Amino acid sequence: MTLPDGNIGILGRNGMGKTTLIRMLGRIEFPQKGRIASAQTFSWPLSLSAGFIATMNGRSNVKFVCRLYGKSDKETEDIIEFVKDFAELGDYYTMPINTYSSGMRARLNFGLSLAFDFDYLLIDETLSVGDASFRNKAKEMLQKKIEQSQILLVSHDMKTLKDLCHIGLLVHEGELHYFDHIDDAVKAYEEINKKAK
Amino acid sequence: MHQRNYMFVFFSVQKALFLREMNSKFSTSRLGVFWTFFQPFMQVVAFVLIKMFIFGRGDEHFDYAVFLALNFTAFNMFNGILGKSIGAFKANKALFNYKQVKPIDAIIAGSLVEIFMTGIVYSMFLFVGYYFDFGMEGKNILMVGIGLVWLIVFSFSFALVVAIGDTFYKSIGKIVKIFTFGLMIFSAVFYPVASIPPEGQAILLYNPLVHFMEIIHGSYFHALDTRYVDYTYIAIWTITLLYIGMWLYQRLEKKIISG
Repeated sequence: MTLPDGNIGILGRNGMGKTTLIRMLGRIEFPQKGRIASAQTFSWPLSLSAGFIATMNGRSNVKFVCRLYGKSDKETEDIIEFVKDFAELGDYYTMPINTYSSGMRARLNFGLSLAFDFDYLLIDETLSVGDASFRNKAKEMLQKKIEQSQILLVSHDMKTLKDLCHIGLLVHEGELHYFDHIDDAVKAYEEINKKAK
Repeated sequence: MHQRNYMFVFFSVQKALFLREMNSKFSTSRLGVFWTFFQPFMQVVAFVLIKMFIFGRGDEHFDYAVFLALNFTAFNMFNGILGKSIGAFKANKALFNYKQVKPIDAIIAGSLVEIFMTGIVYSMFLFVGYYFDFGMEGKNILMVGIGLVWLIVFSFSFALVVAIGDTFYKSIGKIVKIFTFGLMIFSAVFYPVASIPPEGQAILLYNPLVHFMEIIHGSYFHALDTRYVDYTYIAIWTITLLYIGMWLYQRLEKKIISG
């Protein structure tokens, strides 16, 4: 299967392998058969069980990820400030991650990923946590972001998917179905849900 | 963002992991810095005092305090690298979320931290030793260095095998912990092999660490030599462990990442 460039929404019922698909694209899970090839760069998979060092504070974690990506000191400073402004964690920014709520973690992770320029952002449900104001802000930022880069978005929120993506992928019973239009994917997904009832 | 050069990625990851570890060592408490360096120092002082009170000054033709400091710090490095490897993959699981962090990076960075700490502790001993005029004159410093570097390679290989084994069979870590606990006594850290009766020597020399310790202190003191060292024996140990480690690692890397 070859996927064209574009913002891709991924749908599927629980346990069908959406997260596994995202993790495979992030190269932290590996296909048992076949190969994934792409010349594009992918972000780390943004998920609720985010890759932070729990005993270190938010700021140090941001710094750590900047070092992983080989950023200069100047760039690192800028990213630290950017994430601080975006995530709105207040004093929590300099407190250990294990004191964070899941919404706060998601904010930090999301803000951090926005600070880097990937060809594709891999987002696994992170947008659905957080309060309403943050969700709006995140969506706005994402809309701005997709002018330069693209996203692969897993979500159960059909409206978000329709707003942000135009290609649809449906994962169902071990198979990956491709749809040129996200609307068709959503329809097919709703079909499946009806049958399940 | 363009794809980056392999070596550049490796160095970025090592730098990030190294600084993270240093940061966590020193930021836990105000006394963190003090104790990381002072603890091994105090241990040597304690051993020397115990020895002098119980056994008297002894009839060695070398400075026993220097002997202990030299051996003890080297053994501590081995112990540190190995100890860090137990559970290392699980502890760093969160970091494998970033695809550039490979499990082996955690072992390499852990070893680098230990090597760095060992360097600092040795420098402290050198400073104290020269300041208080201990018998510091070395015979063959180059050979001491080679012994230490070889010990590092040996420790790293051992650590890699243990880290992988421990990830799949929890008991391996426990067994290694039990074994290393008493190992120091049987590793020629407190005495040179020459001071042991021949029957004891034969048994002791099965322990590869004894050979490393003998290289290190045998090359340092004029009164001692390296006649008990079997270079082939430790070479076989090192190569075998490194080979098993690498072989297991390239087979299981993906399993460890996504595990």
